[in-house]
Amino acid sequence: MTVYGDLIGQDRAIGVLRRAASAAAEAVAGGRGAGMTHAWLFTGPPGSGRSTAAKAFAAALLCPEQGCGHCDACHQVEVGSHPDVTFVRPEGLSYGVRQTRELVLKAAGAPTLGRWRVVLFEDADRVTEQAANALLKAIEEPPPRTVWLLCAPSADDMIITIRSRCRVVTLGTPSTEAVANVLATRDGVPHDVALDAARAAQGDVGRARRLALDEETRRRRAEVLSIPRSLTGVAECITAAERLVKTSTEDADAATTALNEVETAELRRVYGEGSTGKGLNKGLVRGGAGALKELETMQKSRATRIKRDSLDLALLELMAFYRDVLAMQFGASVELANEDRRHEVETVARASTPEDTLRRTEAIMKCRERLAANVHPQIAVEAMTLALRSSGVVHRG
Amino acid sequence: MMFRIDRDVLAEAVAWTARSLPARPSVPVLAGMRLEVTEDQRLKLSGFDYEVSAEVTLDLQTGEAGVVLVSGKLLAEITRALPAQPVELVVDGAKAVVTCGSARFTLLTMPVEDYPSLPAMPPAAGRVGSDVFASAVGQVAVAAGKDDTLPMLTGVRMEIDGDTVTLAATDRYRLAVRELKWQPEQPGFQAVAMIPGRTLADTAKALGGSGAEVEIALSSAGGTGEGMIGFSSSGRRTTTRLLDPEFPKYRSLLPTEFSARADLSTGSFVEAVKRVALVAERNTPVRLAFRGGEVVLEAGSGDEAQAVEALPVDFDGDEINIAFNHQFLLEGLGAIDSDIARLQFTTPTKPAILTAGKPVDEGANEDYRYLIMPIRLSS
Ligand SMILES: [Zn+2]
Repeated sequence: MTVYGDLIGQDRAIGVLRRAASAAAEAVAGGRGAGMTHAWLFTGPPGSGRSTAAKAFAAALLCPEQGCGHCDACHQVEVGSHPDVTFVRPEGLSYGVRQTRELVLKAAGAPTLGRWRVVLFEDADRVTEQAANALLKAIEEPPPRTVWLLCAPSADDMIITIRSRCRVVTLGTPSTEAVANVLATRDGVPHDVALDAARAAQGDVGRARRLALDEETRRRRAEVLSIPRSLTGVAECITAAERLVKTSTEDADAATTALNEVETAELRRVYGEGSTGKGLNKGLVRGGAGALKELETMQKSRATRIKRDSLDLALLELMAFYRDVLAMQFGASVELANEDRRHEVETVARASTPEDTLRRTEAIMKCRERLAANVHPQIAVEAMTLALRSSGVVHRG
Repeated sequence: MMFRIDRDVLAEAVAWTARSLPARPSVPVLAGMRLEVTEDQRLKLSGFDYEVSAEVTLDLQTGEAGVVLVSGKLLAEITRALPAQPVELVVDGAKAVVTCGSARFTLLTMPVEDYPSLPAMPPAAGRVGSDVFASAVGQVAVAAGKDDTLPMLTGVRMEIDGDTVTLAATDRYRLAVRELKWQPEQPGFQAVAMIPGRTLADTAKALGGSGAEVEIALSSAGGTGEGMIGFSSSGRRTTTRLLDPEFPKYRSLLPTEFSARADLSTGSFVEAVKRVALVAERNTPVRLAFRGGEVVLEAGSGDEAQAVEALPVDFDGDEINIAFNHQFLLEGLGAIDSDIARLQFTTPTKPAILTAGKPVDEGANEDYRYLIMPIRLSS
């Protein structure tokens, strides 16, 4: 399998990347390499595989066979140890100018193994304004063998000066069929379960996989989607808001714990855990405590971000529900994200008008904006559930 | 894989290799030290932090070929404390078992296939004595910038022209230049490299002190291993990734004609500057007034505490009042490696040159020059 094997339904993007990688190989061999670009912006909805695509391209640039998928270079890019790839994952909510300057410095200079020096910047939309300016300078005048791969949900998330200097690779939302197919063939998920999961995840392969394979993830989704029909009174709205915040916190905690456990165990092993001998049974060797503390600080900052992302995901699921409602109210014959809850969608569609539904989706958007602006989650979500409840008639009255 | 080796030899090699391991590895395998027994009975220990790679090669009496990756920190801790007896390391599945006398350790191994490929050593370019090299690098690296905003100001520039190596560094407030002779592989070899200053200083220190020669590996433009420089000595080698070779055109900054010259005892000058600077805030200047036979040092002003001190000086030329950042002045005095310090001036606002002083009839020793920018005094 080549490095592009994990990209689902992105044939167009893969074509662009393959051509660029062969131009890059030509440049490495001393040719003109026309068609190679030093700054790339990978965009696409969550789960479409922005960073997967960027990583595949990084491997294709560094592999002597342009991404064979099995040589040392491909393997090292895959596990994240290749000396010429710098992975940047802003673990906090933003990425500052100091870090960016250090990064720019690191990205300068010749590649260690002679091909390219690649910076893969996930969530590049999290750079602060100052950091973006520092980044811009580096992208404007890149050293001859440095390649920047930025990832962001959409091109509009990057300041125009950066965007205009990048070649944009847009990843589409993969079709339900393509995602279901991957779950069925690679993960052995029964076809009908795979289809439901794929529809519910709306093109996000990772999310679809979790929905198909993890009972808890399905339970939390059911919890979120029980909210529309539970909003019968003010007290119920407040309880529903509490439930929504709690569920998404649980979801975040589960994700955080899984990540933290692996990292902590790896670090502890570096400092002696699991090894035996005189002096090694008394805990970690020198430097271990400090390194663990540093790791915990990073993990805490990441946990804050994951919590926010998780609540946003729950809101997007609610949004998808009301989008289904609206589609039904307009009689559009589109595939419902909540095909498995068709009955509930119908009930809400009949009990309200399209205007109600639009107002409700606006309330959800408003809530997302307020959360992004650091409003306390319980307060923002309560305001939303109250808005979701009120019918248009009362509102206009 | 297995090998048996003398405890001191191993401990020293492990400690040396561990120096180049990253303090905060971005991936866990980078915390690993790679141990390889080759078919020809050598043990190679390597560490890599992406910028610098270090490798020691040792001869073995007993060994079975193979590779293993273990935590470098852990191995360094263990080998330090081993008793003075032969050490044996045997790889057994996912574990490496170290025995030495009655001591026995079982270390978890790391996935060696995930370990990054080490950079190739560029071709050998020439040799220089390790002690001369270490002291020359020390003299120049002092002027390299510590803050990492402009790469060219954090590096040491190495220019090779035949049998002459010129090292230069500047942080825009001072400039240090050192020339030394070496033995190039090719008589007309020419190359220019910008080496990260801190890394070069560490490397030169790590390879110095043995009295052996250091081999410098560097390709001329367009050759293999471009962008890397290698240093090796007595079975130890390092590679360092080079910076962009851009550097200020420094030769034109070095004045060739002077209006005055002052020779002072380095030791008393250093002590006097330190005492006077005690009252000065960080980065405030020490003012120097040179008159025939005497220099008056002064720091502090207005409400601040003031300090004044006078020193005898062998002075020749126009009287001058000039001020310097005391830290930069002290670092320069520490780098000239001479009992007599020579300062040469043009005007109070133009850079002064600090060199090792010599009796006038012996002529100037210009192997090492430390240019220092004066601080403009508001009158
Ligand atoms: Zn490959």
